[in-house]
Amino acid sequence: MSAMVKPLPVQEAYEDLLQRSLCRIPCDLGRLLYLASTRDYNTGNYHHDGLADRFSVKVARSALEIAHRQAFYKVAALSLEELVRDLAAYLESSRENPEEFLRTWQRLEPYRIAIPMEVNPTVARLFASNVRLALAVLRLRQSTHADR
Amino acid sequence: MIGVWGAFAGALVLLLVLLAWVRAEASSKDSRSDWGAADQEQSEGENVEACSPEIVSQLFSAADSKFISGLESPGLENLFRRERTAVALHWVQETSAFISKVMRRHLEASRLRADLEIATEARIFLQYARLKLYCGILFVLIGLLGPQRLAGTALHAERFIQRVGEGLVEFQSAAQLREPEGSESL
Repeated sequence: MSAMVKPLPVQEAYEDLLQRSLCRIPCDLGRLLYLASTRDYNTGNYHHDGLADRFSVKVARSALEIAHRQAFYKVAALSLEELVRDLAAYLESSRENPEEFLRTWQRLEPYRIAIPMEVNPTVARLFASNVRLALAVLRLRQSTHADR
Repeated sequence: MIGVWGAFAGALVLLLVLLAWVRAEASSKDSRSDWGAADQEQSEGENVEACSPEIVSQLFSAADSKFISGLESPGLENLFRRERTAVALHWVQETSAFISKVMRRHLEASRLRADLEIATEARIFLQYARLKLYCGILFVLIGLLGPQRLAGTALHAERFIQRVGEGLVEFQSAAQLREPEGSESL
């Protein structure tokens, strides 16, 4: 995955994406969701206006696809404790009401959208299962905090 | 008398294995229901990546189990056990399906060859049978003990399956390369 060979323009576009957009996002889960949001739900194609202007639509698409897969595998390989910390950071950065956020995520499971195409099914399941567990941990912490 | 007790113990073990199998099947069916179509489509795709050893060790990780135990919530511990068991069982099924696919391809390629070596074919079949047995045992053990106690066994199985799987693929590629030469000589 990390050894994925990128052709030169794609490599440049990928680095541009890292420097201009991804490094501003404070957590791995946030980066993953951002990258997933650049994918068209109907066609599965990735698009990013700024990147496509600087490079080309095709190069930008490849760079986004590679970045998405890498971000996904990074989050899928996080330990549960790390994922809970990452999810808490994402929740904080969203500035939403934590209780509402956790309830909505447990009901709608929006993180499923973050799974790239053609990834190993076991990894996809492990990712979704870990997020479910991380949400349950945060809700438990929240209820313990409220009881005090 | 010992014979009766032996038979009784044997029957009890068999019953336990059967129960574990049924439990494991039920867990994997539960998790299959909402992923079914996506899984089938993905496992049929040629570009799907194999599950890496890092992911397998993450799946069977004792550290995650310790983290959850530290939170002292029985409900969360139950959820964790259920979730991990379902994913681990899915991994075993996926691995087993991968082995069958490689073997099926090998058989298809073998049917077209004129220079089949019985000893090599027998060795390949034995390895295939061993892998399938390994998957079956792992499936039952995960259902019985849960994945966290089987981290070492799972990683060993993963390496073994990977090695034999690669061997089968290499053998198949070599056979395919030899095929045009064989047809020319005919």
